[in-house]
Amino acid sequence: MKDENDDVLVRRVLAGETSAYAGLVERYRPHLGRYAFRMLGNQADAEDALQDTFIRGYRSLARCEPERFRSWLFGILVNRCRTYAAQRTKRQSVVTTDEWSVANSTRQQPVDDDGWRTAIGRALEELPAEQREAFLLKHVEDLSYEEMQELTGVRIPALKMRVFRAREALRRNLQENVVDRS
Amino acid sequence: MTDHDELERVIETLKEPVNIDSSFDRRVMSAIGAPASPEGSGPEAAPPSLHGAAEPLPSARKSVWLSPRWTIRLSPLGGLLAAAAVAGIILATSSLTRRNESTEPVAALPELHESANATQFVLVAPEADSVLLVGDFNDWGLTTTRLARQPGDGVWFVTVVLPPGRYRYAFIVNGTTWRSNPATQVTEDEFGRPNSVVTVGGVI
Repeated sequence: MKDENDDVLVRRVLAGETSAYAGLVERYRPHLGRYAFRMLGNQADAEDALQDTFIRGYRSLARCEPERFRSWLFGILVNRCRTYAAQRTKRQSVVTTDEWSVANSTRQQPVDDDGWRTAIGRALEELPAEQREAFLLKHVEDLSYEEMQELTGVRIPALKMRVFRAREALRRNLQENVVDRS
Repeated sequence: MTDHDELERVIETLKEPVNIDSSFDRRVMSAIGAPASPEGSGPEAAPPSLHGAAEPLPSARKSVWLSPRWTIRLSPLGGLLAAAAVAGIILATSSLTRRNESTEPVAALPELHESANATQFVLVAPEADSVLLVGDFNDWGLTTTRLARQPGDGVWFVTVVLPPGRYRYAFIVNGTTWRSNPATQVTEDEFGRPNSVVTVGGVI
């Protein structure tokens, strides 16, 4: 199954070989999981949205053009992530940095990398959902604005503005909050 | 570092892979009624039809409560929770099995309140093996509220729904070390241990 193209696997599933869907799940779990995690900010929500996506994908597979499975499935995920993000209640965040623990970390990666990842995660989460989505689609998923328009239904000028604002907000946030450990 | 360099570094970090639990594929295939591998046994599910499956989409969240499930690993909050059971621990399960087959404890509310607020407690502690949250809202119970660790970094978190009010709290790292949040108002308990204070429904 690993060497078979998406359209071959899709056609096998539609022909009744449901187990062939496992090949598609295995193939797209890492990529879609990364987007879901970056968009929703935590593993639990990301796995829920991802699982939901694959199940919906299976259920509506007959509506998919087999050659376009990847972008079709990704469209379902983007939609699910929007729904999950919208369902979350606004919450307070009480953040504590255990300076002792950070300073004495014995992890192989340098401490500043951990702090950097944490800062990025937090900065990303502080973006409005539509800006976060646009930034991830443009810069992490490397989609063109035309592809983003097709995926989201949002016009290109609005998408460009969202990406611009996201970049500015991230830059400001990181400049203010990244701890200098030099 | 120029702005462009910093943006590139951000993008490079966000493109790093994220771990998804190894049982994920099995859960998906189980949900659609198929074996996880082509060699697996069990009846094949009916292929997806143009009109979709007859049965409703299984909820990714099944809880003993009516509201959306939330666990100590953090899940979207919605509705209200029913009042806690005697010990103050609620067990929630998912119809699509999570990474452990066993159920996971979740934080309990002492009571329902119409204007309850969700408050996320976060501790950055890469060296920790376990982190507990104790406070006025859970009677300082040492086994009630465990934080979950975000994969890939040292961030621990839990979300608790609290009625408006003022609460003392602290983190317990590795079962023995008390940590307070120096950025908030800090008090001492009767044992001289540092406590932080959070005000829900107001300014922290």
